[in-house]
Amino acid sequence: MEEQMAKIDLSNISHTYNPLDPKPTYALNPFSMTWENGKRYAILGPSGCGKTTMLNIVSGLVRPSKGEILFDETPVTDLKTEDRNIAQVFQFPVIYNTMTVYDNLAFPLRCREFTKEKIEERVKAVSDTLNLSSFLSSPARKLTADQKQLISLGRGLVREDVAAVLMDEPLTVIDPDLKFRLRRNLKEINEQYKTTLVYVTHDQNEAMTFAENIIVMDQGEIVQVGLPKDLFEKPKTTFVGYFIGSPAMNIFHSTVSSDHEVKINDTTIKTNSNLGNLKDKNVKLGIRSEFIELAEKEKSNTVKIKLTRVEDFGNFKLLTGKMGDLVIKSKVEREKPIPDGELNLYFPPEKCCVYSDEKLV
Amino acid sequence: MSKLYTFLKYFFITFWTVFVVAPFLWAVSTSFKDFQSVNSKVTYIPWLDFEPTLEGWRVLIKSPAKGGVDIVEPYFNSIFVTCTASLISIVLGTLAAYALSRFTFKAGFVRNNDITFFFISQRIMPPIVLSIPFFIFLSTIGLLDSLLGLVVVYIVLLMPIAVWIMVDFFNRVPKELDETALIDGCNPYQAFYKVVLPNSIPGLIVAGMFCIIFGWIDFFFAFILTFTEVQLLPVKVVALNSSITPWWSLSASALVSVAPLIIVAFIVERYLSKGNLSGALK
Repeated sequence: MEEQMAKIDLSNISHTYNPLDPKPTYALNPFSMTWENGKRYAILGPSGCGKTTMLNIVSGLVRPSKGEILFDETPVTDLKTEDRNIAQVFQFPVIYNTMTVYDNLAFPLRCREFTKEKIEERVKAVSDTLNLSSFLSSPARKLTADQKQLISLGRGLVREDVAAVLMDEPLTVIDPDLKFRLRRNLKEINEQYKTTLVYVTHDQNEAMTFAENIIVMDQGEIVQVGLPKDLFEKPKTTFVGYFIGSPAMNIFHSTVSSDHEVKINDTTIKTNSNLGNLKDKNVKLGIRSEFIELAEKEKSNTVKIKLTRVEDFGNFKLLTGKMGDLVIKSKVEREKPIPDGELNLYFPPEKCCVYSDEKLV
Repeated sequence: MSKLYTFLKYFFITFWTVFVVAPFLWAVSTSFKDFQSVNSKVTYIPWLDFEPTLEGWRVLIKSPAKGGVDIVEPYFNSIFVTCTASLISIVLGTLAAYALSRFTFKAGFVRNNDITFFFISQRIMPPIVLSIPFFIFLSTIGLLDSLLGLVVVYIVLLMPIAVWIMVDFFNRVPKELDETALIDGCNPYQAFYKVVLPNSIPGLIVAGMFCIIFGWIDFFFAFILTFTEVQLLPVKVVALNSSITPWWSLSASALVSVAPLIIVAFIVERYLSKGNLSGALK
């Protein structure tokens, strides 16, 4: 079989749904991005941030207002959906009600006039992966919602030659247990067949466990592209800090006091950021609750807080404390004894992120 | 309390059934009567109250030369006009409805909803308003008093129904279905024929049912636009009524003219009871 998987280039793409308006609002602000062949990507962002628009542009359901799409350096911007080699799975199961499960899975191959043997082989392979083998001859409409979604997924995976499989929150309707297994299956499929997978989600855990590369979007803007570790440890903007991680990143208003130090209220915190140009400016200091440590006594880079709440999550405890008006959250090991009342928290300098104008310094 | 409720429930169901079915039974019984049994005294039950005769039914297929009324030709005329007009309305109406549901049209201030309303508005006007224009139109193109002319007029009357029902139906078919078909490699026409249309059979059945009913029962236009060459069943049935009303053949012809609708109702009912039409009916 001819290898047709492709590198996908999105070059200067932007899109508005009301182009005739004198002041159009953009669903996607101009951006450029490359999706490498055979990788797993997750597009992560809150509802209405342009994730689905981006997928629809790649699959050709939406023509971008500006910019160009290239599959392996070939422009496809004006190519119709049916002529692009793309598979797309939607959030809610879309099945062909009048057909059997087998016919549903075979449909994309039949439309592209594959041989009967090839169709049989591929449908069998996909239905085995998705546990649908025993339903092949039953009418698709008789299946449960999550089985239907498996069919949608199967139709996306049945063609080996697709440039990419785009999935728009495909596992929303599937129960958690199966979700976990399916994500692993998708990973295996990606590793085995080197199919580029693009996965849209608003669930950070899903994105983190699934993808090698995560694209974080907010209000039509790509905020950060990176590995899960980068997003977690060095969020490029305060939005990423808020959006990724549970609880969200601790973010404090502070002022720069020296080249490497900021002041929160009256406490000086040393960071590894170079703040030479920002002297006396107002900035924000961000630190993950995971990185904040309990300190025995006051030392450098500690803050004194009044403990207001301790929540036991089983595998860790979440401390909530107050320093003046500031709320600080810290995750500590479950076994650690928590002193009552006031306690000191240590901020490791290498884990402190400083944000000026919401962007990482 | 619940006993009273059960009683009332069955009482009203029985009452309603009698209300609906009794006229039919009376018509059935009357169709077997002769002049004597209708006009002398009230009779109900054949063989007991009166001696049944098939005269009322025989008259319907006898040619006028032999003293009959011959509803056979009008019957087939009606079937032809209703079925042809319904079929064309469904085909055109479905295509129009699909376009109105899936694509955005703009012409000045006119948008999709305005076009849909334009279709439906054809049914808002009282038919009498349309009668003169239709008459002039058909006489101009020389189709007055012809089957083809009636088909044209009935398409005008039935297509709004088809468009209305199908727009509503297609609006409930998620557009992701079409999009998935495109992604799976269909062109837009294949997506419509292979995927959307098979999914719309319940809607098509409902639309077809309404078209057939409204086409079949129309008296007004059939009466105004035909004279001697062509007659449709409703006109013929009404024409039976002369100075001495032949109740027996009138009943018989009424029964044969509702028969097709009863058959349609039975076919559609099978789909209704399966719940297949849940999306097609509000």
